[in-house]
Amino acid sequence: MTLSARDLVCSYGPTRAVDGVDLDVAGDSILAVFGPNGAGKTTLLKALSGERRPDSGRVFADGRAVKGSDPEWRSRVGLVSHRTGLYTKLTVTENLLFFAALHGVTRAAPAVEEALATVGARELGRTRAEALSRGQRQRVALARALLHDPAVLFLDEPFSGLDPSGAAALETMLRARRSPERIVVLVTHDLRRGLRLADRVVVLRRGRKVLDDDRAEWKAETLLGLFTDPGNRA
Amino acid sequence: MTSLRWIGVIAWKDLRAEFRSGGRIAAMISFSVLACFLFSFSLGSLVAGRDVAAGLLWLTVLFASISGAGRTFDAEEEDGAFRHLLLSPVSRHAIFLGKAAANLVPVTLVAAFTLFALTLFFRIAAPGSVALHAAILLPGTIGLAAAGTLFGLISRHSSLGDSLLPALTLPALVPLVFFGATASSRVFLDRPWAEISGPARLLWGIAIGLVAVGALLFRYLTDD
Amino acid sequence: MRIGHGNGGRLAYLGFGLAAAGVATILLVHWLVAFWVPTEAAQGVVQRIFYIHVPAAWASFLAATVAGLASAAYLWLEDERGDMAAVAAAEAALVFGAIVLLTGPLWGRIAWGAYWDWGELRLTLTLLLWFSYLGYFLIRGSVADPRKGKRFAAVVAIIGVLSIPLNHVSVVWFRSLHPEPVVFNPEGPSLPGEMLATLLTSLAGFMMLFLGLFTIRYVIENHSRRRHRPTQPDSSGALT
Repeated sequence: MTLSARDLVCSYGPTRAVDGVDLDVAGDSILAVFGPNGAGKTTLLKALSGERRPDSGRVFADGRAVKGSDPEWRSRVGLVSHRTGLYTKLTVTENLLFFAALHGVTRAAPAVEEALATVGARELGRTRAEALSRGQRQRVALARALLHDPAVLFLDEPFSGLDPSGAAALETMLRARRSPERIVVLVTHDLRRGLRLADRVVVLRRGRKVLDDDRAEWKAETLLGLFTDPGNRA
Repeated sequence: MTSLRWIGVIAWKDLRAEFRSGGRIAAMISFSVLACFLFSFSLGSLVAGRDVAAGLLWLTVLFASISGAGRTFDAEEEDGAFRHLLLSPVSRHAIFLGKAAANLVPVTLVAAFTLFALTLFFRIAAPGSVALHAAILLPGTIGLAAAGTLFGLISRHSSLGDSLLPALTLPALVPLVFFGATASSRVFLDRPWAEISGPARLLWGIAIGLVAVGALLFRYLTDD
Repeated sequence: MRIGHGNGGRLAYLGFGLAAAGVATILLVHWLVAFWVPTEAAQGVVQRIFYIHVPAAWASFLAATVAGLASAAYLWLEDERGDMAAVAAAEAALVFGAIVLLTGPLWGRIAWGAYWDWGELRLTLTLLLWFSYLGYFLIRGSVADPRKGKRFAAVVAIIGVLSIPLNHVSVVWFRSLHPEPVVFNPEGPSLPGEMLATLLTSLAGFMMLFLGLFTIRYVIENHSRRRHRPTQPDSSGALT
């Protein structure tokens, strides 16, 4: 599995949120994208996942151009974002069964059980999502992302709202899922956690890539220094 | 085949959530029954019920469904679930048709309650054949549900919000209401089917058109 | 402000030329209506407003159709030019629609005895079409992401244009107060020659005016968008 981007540009009106980004991610890697607020991290994630069509440039998966409208591609993509994306009036199991049905998961009920067990939320199955705490919801959202075993898992600020044990479970789960057939793209402003997981670091500033490195020895403080525009210092 | 299953899964999910919260359906029905009560209170002594019932029926159903349309995507947006629905392999037209099908239930309930309330409050002894009323109201509610789903999504993203809905929906829906009220008034007056079939066919045409246009254009509203 | 350069400049001159020719023709039509065309027997003098009302209606329908087609092209091809053309045409549809909605009641007041008749479906649907183009601009302006705003507006324009055939069908389906179609009816034009000539002259004038306004508006839209080309975001931008 490989995921690459060539000269991606995404704008909102007159603002270029992503401005000419190139990227190559190979299988078995966890890519962390850092950057200050407004750097274009989420927009880059949306362009890579196919949720947002870039104004120019392309995304390739295994060498083939990605089209967001292609159901084949969407069935290979998973997402966990800072909004947990559950139907609050439905129970946890109903939520997961719904998304399992959308993804055409065979033997959905055992798959849901297993996914809940993986994230340590087996006892929540019959609870309505509205009754869950923020951290519990995030675990369920994680379980949903595992249901259809996506080749590319996009994580958009997944740590927000997770308690320390939840965050640890997420880290364990991400490491356990590693395989040459899978890629994880992680967008976060939690530098410490991100750095602990990532084997590939990209820093965005004002829509442009200012760092792309696969050495893991980056310190949070060093990266923070990259967040500010050298032109704005002094 | 998969499309049909997706439509069913989405509609079922929406209805389950809808009936559990109950708020929207209850609000739409109480609006329509109250409107009928007020109509009979203000007009009852001035006009014969059978003459005005058809117009009031369609106007009430129209306004109730517009007021409900803005809520169509509440459950989707409340916690950001819509993003995940859109990222799943489900086709856009299946999402639209599933949500429109779920929307059809409250609109149909409103139509039934309104018809019942009008005949009750205006003391219409012979309101005409129920089957004929249903045959006229069904395409109307289908059209209203489809338009409500399409425009409900548009108004959600607008800073004007639901106040934009009448300006957007009425141009598309007034023909529906016009032909619907014409047909229904002939049912109330017990006219033969030959006089009703014309507008009824037009209603079906408009309804199918709205569903087709919605299913076709929905992806342009959802794609980023 | 200089009106563009190169291709845009030539287009702008074409637009001004067409609009000027259209205005001149419409002025000529006013002279024809006042002094040349015979008075219609049944309705009397008031029928003369017909020579403005009907061509304006056609121009507004043409504008709405162009807006709808351009919107469809924009959605289908993702080409900005489609959106620019749709904006230009939708504004023209509002302007010509306003002329129809003003002259219609003036005519109706004398001919039917009332400014507005709600049973008169064609006038009502023209009003609705006008409102859907108002909605077109409301939705464009009220969505935070301009790309979404354009798409939503395009959908509104397409649905608006689809109501036009309904408009025509409604006249045939319901025996209404509205005059029968006099030019496109199956037995050929039913107007006396001088009336037909005046109508056609006016029609030509309104079409030229529409095309002129449309072209000018398109050039302006193109020009202003080029000035607001996407640039680098400033560091305070809060988009993620």
